[in-house]
Amino acid sequence: MNFVYLFFFITLNFSSPFSQQDKSASPPNPQSIEAGKSNFRVNCSYCHGIDANGGFRAPSLVSGHFSHGSSDESILNNILHGIPGTAMPANDIDEPTAREIIAYLRSLQKSSQPSSNGNLESGRKLFFGPAACSQCHMIQGQGGRFGPDLSRVGAMRPREYLVESIRDPDAQLTERFVAIDFGTNPPTYELVTVTTGQGIVLSGVVLNEDTFSLQFMDDREKIHSWLKSELKSVVHEHRSPMPKYDTHQLSAAQLDDLIAYLTSLRGDSK
Amino acid sequence: MTRRRSSPFLYLLNLLFILYLVSVPAKLAAQVTSDQLLNSSAMPANWLQYSATYDGHRFSSLSQINRENVSQLTAQWVFQTATPGFFENTPLVVDGIMYVTGPENLAFALDARTGRRLWSYKRALPEKIRACCGHTNRGFAILGSRLFMATLDAHVVALDAATGNVLWDVQAADYAQGYAFTVAPLIIKDKVIVGVSGGEYGIRGFIDAYDASTGKLAWRFYTIPAPGEPGSDSWPSADSAARGGAPAWVTGTYDPQLNLLYWPTGNPAPSDDGTRRKGENLYSNSVVALNPDTGKLQWYFQFTPFDLHDWDATEVPVLLDAEIEGKPRQLLLHANRNGFFYVLDRTNGKFLFAKPYATQNWAKAIDSSGKPIVLPSALPTEAGVHVCPGAAGATNWMSPTYSPQTGFLYISVREQCDIFYAHPQQFVTGRIYIGSTYMPAAKEKDWGAVRAIDPKTGEVRWEYKEFSATWAGNLSTAGHLVFTGDVDGYLIALDADTGKLLWHIQTGAAIYAAPITYQLNGRQYIAISSGTTLLTFALPATTP
Repeated sequence: MNFVYLFFFITLNFSSPFSQQDKSASPPNPQSIEAGKSNFRVNCSYCHGIDANGGFRAPSLVSGHFSHGSSDESILNNILHGIPGTAMPANDIDEPTAREIIAYLRSLQKSSQPSSNGNLESGRKLFFGPAACSQCHMIQGQGGRFGPDLSRVGAMRPREYLVESIRDPDAQLTERFVAIDFGTNPPTYELVTVTTGQGIVLSGVVLNEDTFSLQFMDDREKIHSWLKSELKSVVHEHRSPMPKYDTHQLSAAQLDDLIAYLTSLRGDSK
Repeated sequence: MTRRRSSPFLYLLNLLFILYLVSVPAKLAAQVTSDQLLNSSAMPANWLQYSATYDGHRFSSLSQINRENVSQLTAQWVFQTATPGFFENTPLVVDGIMYVTGPENLAFALDARTGRRLWSYKRALPEKIRACCGHTNRGFAILGSRLFMATLDAHVVALDAATGNVLWDVQAADYAQGYAFTVAPLIIKDKVIVGVSGGEYGIRGFIDAYDASTGKLAWRFYTIPAPGEPGSDSWPSADSAARGGAPAWVTGTYDPQLNLLYWPTGNPAPSDDGTRRKGENLYSNSVVALNPDTGKLQWYFQFTPFDLHDWDATEVPVLLDAEIEGKPRQLLLHANRNGFFYVLDRTNGKFLFAKPYATQNWAKAIDSSGKPIVLPSALPTEAGVHVCPGAAGATNWMSPTYSPQTGFLYISVREQCDIFYAHPQQFVTGRIYIGSTYMPAAKEKDWGAVRAIDPKTGEVRWEYKEFSATWAGNLSTAGHLVFTGDVDGYLIALDADTGKLLWHIQTGAAIYAAPITYQLNGRQYIAISSGTTLLTFALPATTP
């Protein structure tokens, strides 16, 4: 292959969790599901993740709620023609192949986890109040800049991923969106600590790094720019700057509330 | 009506004009002969072919820019295509004019002193073009006053170097079935040699030769044998062979004494799933040695039989005469995408030795015949297996360079691993056909390097590390320099003896091309493509 990754992959977007799945959705058939899985892997997985749980370019597809239409016909149209205003391109595949992919996605939604039983409004209050999430995370323009913007996190990631990110933020570092970068691993919200030539120790999340320079944001949202030749050391901490929220910081019930709120976030202005 | 007689004044004016015409050196259309192509190294002011010379050395004897003054390089001019896409090209430079192919079937002739455009060419693309990995092109070839370009929609065109006018245009294959060209053609004698792309679409690969003056097909070598031909039994069925890939999308090299053309080939299709193509899958992932007059196969060497990791052998084969264990040999050097550096006898394809030059975990060793002993842990599964190098390989199409000053081969290295997933996929004509996929290994930072290899032993003599896995090619010069680029956008100059960083500049976009050099009006230039921009650098002009 000339290039590592093929860039005509499919992105699908989620709708509000309150929307009803379209009644026209067809029941999956085993042959279609198997063929769909194969074609999903070939055409879609680089953006949406190998098991459709979401990737650094595109949302998870396992809940069954699609913000650009949950019916088979809407999804088919989005696969074949793309979604204007999103990264989802038109795809050079035929209709039978697209329908097999839809059958595969339907099979995943059947086995996906039930949504949270928590209270959405309580979760919102936790986010902007005692849990202090908003000190670092922004939702629809409200909150901090140090961590990833979560305005669409309910569409982008499944529930299990969100729980893991709260209880154990170091388990999977959130990947930053990058445009096109063939064959390189996407940058993450990783903590980096540097020691300057004057012996000052600074740390933050990496915005850019290359052979010669390093730019990062500290927890006061100040952007630092250094040439590596000016630094005594650069240490990649291989962990997130986010604290672990164990059951002392966030009870199981509070976690449920927070998850209910986060899974409701699909980029809609409310 | 009476005619006015010319006055003595007008007569004098005409005479002065004629004298002016004969005294001012006018730029004529390029005239490059096949003899000049044979002796390209004797004309270092020009850059006459993809790899500079037929042996693939990409070395220039220009030395005005050298390791003492390279830090003074300054930008001379910048050219932008003003289109989406990116350059992967090697420009040609002939007598002060630069010929450049770009993304989207675009091409340009530029004044190599100022970067100003002399003409543009664009072949309109069909709506649904199936070039797998970017609408790109790697460059022109030139013979006489004709430029040759292989297009994304699988045509080969000849352009008038003075105007960009189309002189002939032939269709080599059907783009709708996944055939495409991204390759820079190679001229041998009176023929234009091209190799096809499309290994991700289940094509049957080929290498073509066209008559430079007429465009008539002189010969075609299929990189997958027809049923009944030698090698056809390396495929389980005629169907699997007919859609078996083995593209030929990187320009080969040529030995005029042996009259052998060496052309590298790419992955079998589907690249990540071998359930329907059990066998060695000849001549995928090989170098084939052809008679350039007839296209007849003289020998082949396959680096990665029954490949399941997309490890095309489409890296430039470098030709070198050197002593191995005290015996003078005619060698072919190949830093392969699978992570091993191979040395072959180019007279007969005999395997001499191989040595890893990058991290690899897929082969226990290369045996004495040159075949890999593959570890079962590297075979893709539905759940995924972690394999190094990744699908992009330990290197890729980015050109190596060999310096006779140091005796080192300089290669771009990618340290990056992937998780390979297998899942059988049905073939549909013209559609992507790779059989599952691969993902970058999570929590592993890719990185890159330029490594200087001693071709006699395969030992890495020095390494220059880069933060990210590279896609840029290399140039070595008699100024004891190696120029390269990186995916973070830096153009870099290194000391060819030690690998020490001497100079770098941020160009603004990932570099997917190799630097070249040329000389004009007594000044040596370095040119590099970055994104859709082409930049040149030179030492500050001396004041008169």
